[in-house]
Amino acid sequence: MTANLEQNDRQIVLVCCGTGCTANGAREVFQNFQTKLKDHPEIEVQPIIKATGCNGWCEKGPLVRMMPRDITYCSVAAKDVDEIVEKTLLNGVLIKRLLYRDPVSKQQLTTHHMTDFYRKQHKIALRNIGEIDPGEINDFIERGGYQALKKALQGMRPGELIDEIKASGLRGRGGGGFPTGRKWQACSEARGETKYIICNGDEGDPGAFMDRSILEGDPHTVIEGMILGAYAVGAAHGYIYVRDEYDLAVQYLGKALKDARKNGYLGNKILDSEFSFDIEIIRGGGAFVCGEETALIASIEGRIGEPRDKYVFPTEKGLWGKPTIINNVETWANIPVIIREGAEEFAAIGTEASKGTKVFSLVGKVVNTGLVEVPMGTTLREIIYEIGGGVLKKRAFKAVQTGGPSGGCIPAELLDLPVDFDSLTQAGSMMGSGGLIVMDDHTCMVEVARYYVNFLAEESCGKCTPCREGIRALLEILTNICRGQGRIEDLQLMEDICLTMQEASLCALGRTAPNPVLSTLRYFRDEYIEHIENQFCPAGVCRELTTFFIDPEKCTGCTLCIKYCSVDAITGEKKQVHVIDENTCIRCGECYRICTFDAIKLARREHYGN
Amino acid sequence: MEIKLNGQEYEAYPGESILDLCRREKVPLPTLCYHQAFGGQGVCRMCMVEVAEPGQKEARLVAACTYPLNTSVEINTESERIKRIRKTIIMLLARRANDHPLLEKLADDYGAPRLSEIIVQPPDCILCGLCVHACEEMGKSAIWSMFRGIDKRIATPYDEASEDCIGCAACARICPTQAISYSEKGSVRTIWNKDFALAACMRCGKYYATQEELLYLQEHGDYGQENLCESCRKKTLAINMKNFT
Repeated sequence: MTANLEQNDRQIVLVCCGTGCTANGAREVFQNFQTKLKDHPEIEVQPIIKATGCNGWCEKGPLVRMMPRDITYCSVAAKDVDEIVEKTLLNGVLIKRLLYRDPVSKQQLTTHHMTDFYRKQHKIALRNIGEIDPGEINDFIERGGYQALKKALQGMRPGELIDEIKASGLRGRGGGGFPTGRKWQACSEARGETKYIICNGDEGDPGAFMDRSILEGDPHTVIEGMILGAYAVGAAHGYIYVRDEYDLAVQYLGKALKDARKNGYLGNKILDSEFSFDIEIIRGGGAFVCGEETALIASIEGRIGEPRDKYVFPTEKGLWGKPTIINNVETWANIPVIIREGAEEFAAIGTEASKGTKVFSLVGKVVNTGLVEVPMGTTLREIIYEIGGGVLKKRAFKAVQTGGPSGGCIPAELLDLPVDFDSLTQAGSMMGSGGLIVMDDHTCMVEVARYYVNFLAEESCGKCTPCREGIRALLEILTNICRGQGRIEDLQLMEDICLTMQEASLCALGRTAPNPVLSTLRYFRDEYIEHIENQFCPAGVCRELTTFFIDPEKCTGCTLCIKYCSVDAITGEKKQVHVIDENTCIRCGECYRICTFDAIKLARREHYGN
Repeated sequence: MEIKLNGQEYEAYPGESILDLCRREKVPLPTLCYHQAFGGQGVCRMCMVEVAEPGQKEARLVAACTYPLNTSVEINTESERIKRIRKTIIMLLARRANDHPLLEKLADDYGAPRLSEIIVQPPDCILCGLCVHACEEMGKSAIWSMFRGIDKRIATPYDEASEDCIGCAACARICPTQAISYSEKGSVRTIWNKDFALAACMRCGKYYATQEELLYLQEHGDYGQENLCESCRKKTLAINMKNFT
């Protein structure tokens, strides 16, 4: 598309219509462009408006990109459209306030590709996102789409395809990190005429949206990957399991499947070969545990989404008891690139044991939030500080939670840890699906552990004893500690329970569920002890243990805290020291977080006023 | 196939579970969710054992009821690690069925500490899933687990009297902790919020099965013309066999 555009010298307006930008009004912006440009028949160069998938830079959305000059405007509102058309499109004048301002250099940048957020990324799985219209198969084809399929069907035997994937070193991106080539080989060698291909799009980690972005922004790459997988193992049917909430993804996928069939990439006798394969979309029922492959299979079969013991892998006995390959959305998105460009090129990226790139969803207390694709082995520091722009409000970094709810919290001393499957596991966390939640020094690590365990208490399937009852006991203990009712021996009890959960749980969810507790106990044990022995929450989060007061030496009387206090507990005149009424205060900590003069202080609740 | 179990050699059938082998060879292994009629479920995790697979450096922890024996492995059912795991599992599970003799005994055997009791529905249910299996095997599936996570419990749909329930009480009879209650007053059996009229034995007059149960059995096979209770059926069979010889 970009190439065409330069040849024709036509202007193209790309409006990001991913879920994040749509929530911020991108559809309106898109429609305003459409209407506005209809009002200008005198314009010779008729811009083409395309709705693209998620750019990953959701923090600054809605994003509008104008080609061929490659100008990107951030946080565009519907009312800005007139001005953009008049000034930028018709007269080539930049609108400065809509340009991205680099937080470090304070420079205004005309294109998002110049920002650190984009410059330091290496896009494979996300290569087409934001560049193409996901509803337009030709956009995908113009960027090399379905070439891998042609290459495979016209000159590669299925075994060669598997060898290529093995040589690439690709490991499953859904969390387990199992070598994809070995999985395919096992399925290909498994006995049985009927085999199935499944794409796992049941993305359930809070804050993770890489699968959604790929399905919404580049559905054909997943479909092409699956067709290649089917050809490699000899499957005729495939399923894409998408969580029900991903409405837009289902829409685009449905259209993409139709278009692929129409163009001969899917269905009977693909590209006039003897190979036939078709794909069906299954909408999930909203259970987190259905991201676990055996639970997902049970769900497709119409049974309760509960896992089973995996002493026999799905590659041998999967869907309906037949050999099945199940890979995650991001894994499938990598396949066409590996086949098209060759395994060597892919294997050159990343670390010894973790090849290629990984998409992370960088969220939390970080300046730039969004999707980030980097080579495996990139350090946490590079991701958080160089790409993410550092911690919000220049606060101190405390921890980064990786791998979703059953991942762990990694402290500041491990910021230089290269991110790959094995190093994260060694640090007591995991890659998971690639969530990265940055936490600042106003975060209570005990409360963080309690929060994740509470999530898991609702989302464990509840089938096996260690996971269900272990989580219940952990939640009780953590809640007690946050309320100042913990006992020091509870720490040992929690460790015992965690160990049994890791050793005896039925599925990976249960085996990893203790990670939030164990990792915080490992790196932030002092905080637990502070809660238990001194009845104090050093981060000022646990309400039962905290009270706030204003340091008269530091308060400048700016009245900011008064404005933010939702219960009017703070009084004081401008330029005079403010006071918090402890009886009215609900200890939400809002004043503590917003005060720019560090004037709000924490104290143990019972001590204050004594 | 040669299997080494706690240091001794045994012969196993390919594909059978470790638990099958243990039961046959009378090697004790505690279970709470296993019934030979259904095979392993892998739910209670009491039967965790250590397995050394050929070529693997470290022993692997597996559930004996679901792990199929396909290669010559070495199994340890009583290592310190296994005992510790069972102790924790009992500690966690016993809270659901406080004072129940089955869990009391296990807690004593493994020296499991007591945690505070929790209230579950139905009381004493340890969520082994045997009742659900029994109902499914009966071909009815009138009860199932509802919700997930720590709220999971066994119930009829929406806790209402289930159209599918035939009142056979197979669920109650298989329950290891007697958590599923049912009552019989005269000719009425009440179970899962539903009343059933009981049929009387044609010989001795004892109430022995619900009308729905008998109807269901008739629809699904030839169970004889007479409606007889268990002991009368045995007596009739014995008389028939005597006459036959």
